[in-house]
Amino acid sequence: MNLNFFKKDGEFFKKGYAEIFLFNVLAIVIGLVISSLMLCFLKQNPFSVYAEVFKRIFNDKYSVGEIFVKATPLIFTSLAFAFTYKANLFNIGAQGQFYMGSIVAVALSLAIGDKVPTVIVILLVLILSCLAGALIGGLIGFAKAKTGANEFLVSMMSTYVVQNFMDFLLRTVLRETKAEYLQTNPIPANAFLPRIIPGTRVHLGTLIAVLFAIGVWVLLYKTALGYRIRAVGYNKDASEHAGINSKIIFITAFAISGALAGIAGFTEINGVQHMLLQNFNASIGSFGIGIAILANGHPIGIIFASLLFGFLNVAGTTMGRIPGLNIPASIIDLNEGIVMICVIVSYFLRMRYVSKKEKKRLLLSGGEV
Amino acid sequence: MEKETVIRIEGVSKYFSKVIANKDVSFDVHKGEIMALLGENGAGKSTIMKVLYGLYTHDEGQIFIDGKKVNIASPRDAIEHGISMIQQHFSLVETHTVTENVILGTVKGKINMSSYNDKIKELCTLYGFDISPQSKIRDLSVGQQQKVEILKALYLNARVLIMDEPTAVLTPQEADSLMEFVKDFASKGGSVIFITHKMREVMSVANRIVVMKNGRVSGIVNAKDTNEKELSSLMMNSDNESIKTSVNAPTGPVALSVNNLSYIDKMGVKRLNDVSFYIKQGEIFGVIGVSGNGQDELAEILSGVINSGTGEIKLDNKDISSLSVRERIESGIGYLPLDRLKDGMIGDMTLSENLMIKESFKGGRWVKNGFLRIKDLKNYTEAKIKEYQVKASGESDLARSLSGGNAQKIVLAREVDAAKKLLILNQPTRGLDVGAVDRIHRIVISQMHEGKAVLLISTEISEIFDICSRFTVMYRGKLMGIYNNGDLSISEVGLLMAGVQV
Repeated sequence: MNLNFFKKDGEFFKKGYAEIFLFNVLAIVIGLVISSLMLCFLKQNPFSVYAEVFKRIFNDKYSVGEIFVKATPLIFTSLAFAFTYKANLFNIGAQGQFYMGSIVAVALSLAIGDKVPTVIVILLVLILSCLAGALIGGLIGFAKAKTGANEFLVSMMSTYVVQNFMDFLLRTVLRETKAEYLQTNPIPANAFLPRIIPGTRVHLGTLIAVLFAIGVWVLLYKTALGYRIRAVGYNKDASEHAGINSKIIFITAFAISGALAGIAGFTEINGVQHMLLQNFNASIGSFGIGIAILANGHPIGIIFASLLFGFLNVAGTTMGRIPGLNIPASIIDLNEGIVMICVIVSYFLRMRYVSKKEKKRLLLSGGEV
Repeated sequence: MEKETVIRIEGVSKYFSKVIANKDVSFDVHKGEIMALLGENGAGKSTIMKVLYGLYTHDEGQIFIDGKKVNIASPRDAIEHGISMIQQHFSLVETHTVTENVILGTVKGKINMSSYNDKIKELCTLYGFDISPQSKIRDLSVGQQQKVEILKALYLNARVLIMDEPTAVLTPQEADSLMEFVKDFASKGGSVIFITHKMREVMSVANRIVVMKNGRVSGIVNAKDTNEKELSSLMMNSDNESIKTSVNAPTGPVALSVNNLSYIDKMGVKRLNDVSFYIKQGEIFGVIGVSGNGQDELAEILSGVINSGTGEIKLDNKDISSLSVRERIESGIGYLPLDRLKDGMIGDMTLSENLMIKESFKGGRWVKNGFLRIKDLKNYTEAKIKEYQVKASGESDLARSLSGGNAQKIVLAREVDAAKKLLILNQPTRGLDVGAVDRIHRIVISQMHEGKAVLLISTEISEIFDICSRFTVMYRGKLMGIYNNGDLSISEVGLLMAGVQV
């Protein structure tokens, strides 16, 4: 990237990146300000609390590592949302696809985890959890393509189906031997994703997530398939006039989207939790949507946006642990939730601003459209 | 019979930034009269009516109602003066009942629905509308929905009804029933202004006809004192009556042949009726007709976008009628659709990306091992921008940032390349300025010289006369004969366009 990018008529301004940047930074700041009001209710000075939080996180290697651990599944679920979003479709069922991936990951790891070498387990689990997510996604895309069913509703409902399917399995075949809680046995250590930074929980999955983000970027912007997906997303009619079969694109985009969410199941089971339990990571699907919007659907932007939310999560945890302040742990979700709402509101404000600007430009050009 | 003047329009002009839409338009509308506003597309008929209805403000001239000068700034003002306009596109709430739609915006607080239902029922009986006030809009036919629009106007005590191409969306039976209403309404003392380009309709219902051409009134005649021939000469531009015959008929082999092509659309309307023609290599074949007579369907069927027609389509003697859009592109068909913004280009993508869209498949020009050849594509796009003199700052401009003419050049550049054998153009110069039109005509002629077959669909007789070697006239999905350029005069073509055999 050269400096021309940021010049007045460079891509940064022409393609609207400047507005995205401005609106998002404002949204995050406003979100943080609102959520720190909660601290005032607790008779705490938000500034000193945040200063303490920063000090504690960045003086502790483990805490910094946690940011990456928390960001990893978010990268996948937001990539999942962003991918269909580029085809002007809405996959809000990443949570379900993630659960499907988790089920396959844990079942496969339990079955063959200590029978074959780690590399093979990891690769097999990666591929199969990916396919499991793709299957769920593909079915949603198929329903959309064949019957015109609203993919928003179908994908939303599919989450509940998969969630209950998971509960069903946790009460039956997958239930731990002790039969005490609704969870599986821990998977054998042989099936763990290796940690890549000593003294932290950062595992290979983080690296895989970054690679997938780059892969998605390449797929969307450098390959013919990605181009066709974007073309259908922007203008289905023109794409069909050019011989692109939009139905196949719907199915493909949804299958890839589901696959991405499915892999999150693999990184969370084999990299972090090492077992499957009820209500496992229950909000990463919905946060994925917000993160994708924050990044304007750009795969590389998603990496950074996910890290931001990983940080908010760790900051919340840290806040709750500062001795003597008695800040409840729910501050974690509160913080993230408020920032997320601000980001989503700012998205629509930005769209309004852009369309106003566009109108003004047309008026100035003399109405010649 | 002394006629009472309801509306007087005096010297009204309306300028848009670059075009004169209306210039010095004057006419009266009398009480109890059916007045037709006749003219070609773009003659300024709708504009003057939108001025009268308060959708546009005029730049010069005056409007009088009942002899008093008025200022109509919005449709609300117009409605207060008793003027209502039935638009071509209805504004009805599909999930609501007829009554709910009619009273929308006129009621407050608690609504006594049954008393309103009775009122609407009365109105329906008065004008013989076969509509139940309680039925939902989505359960009604298009003709009935139009009647609901009319009910809205009647409910507001309209005494002047403006109807913009009211029969365009109707079946012949529905159109007849509408005409009966129009006559009934006029006989009860109301006035109707009828915007249309169909001469038949005009002759059958109108008392007086105001003909418009190029934004001006070119004649005001009584229906009983005129005939279709006079009207057509008033409507058409006669300044280039001299027919160009410089384009010689080619003698090469037939590229495209179409036999007995018919098509019935989803609504059950027969859009194409037994159409047969051929185009030779190196020939420009024109299809002229008033919009909506099946030309768009013809183009879509040939390009494969619609694939439910019957009949035979042969390209270089191979039957292509069962091929998909993509296979037809691969067999050498380029197609420039009528609505370039919706069907021809992707506004939010760059010029490069727009040029690539038909070659983005496996084996396509810009694909190598599944990856895009972005660098080559960019160079190609820059070259095309120069070649076609597109006013753009570079290949990375978004397509929607271009003006109409420049956007059209980009789409044309792509289609010319895609068209190895056949180029289908649906109104390629619609809405463009003179310079762009000339440029596009030159490109089309150069394609002809390269030996391609060109199908040119147009509503401008002059365009057909300028560059086609043979042409046909389409009326209600049928071909009104195939002619060599030079066989017919402009007014004869005009009559054929109106469905009158010459």
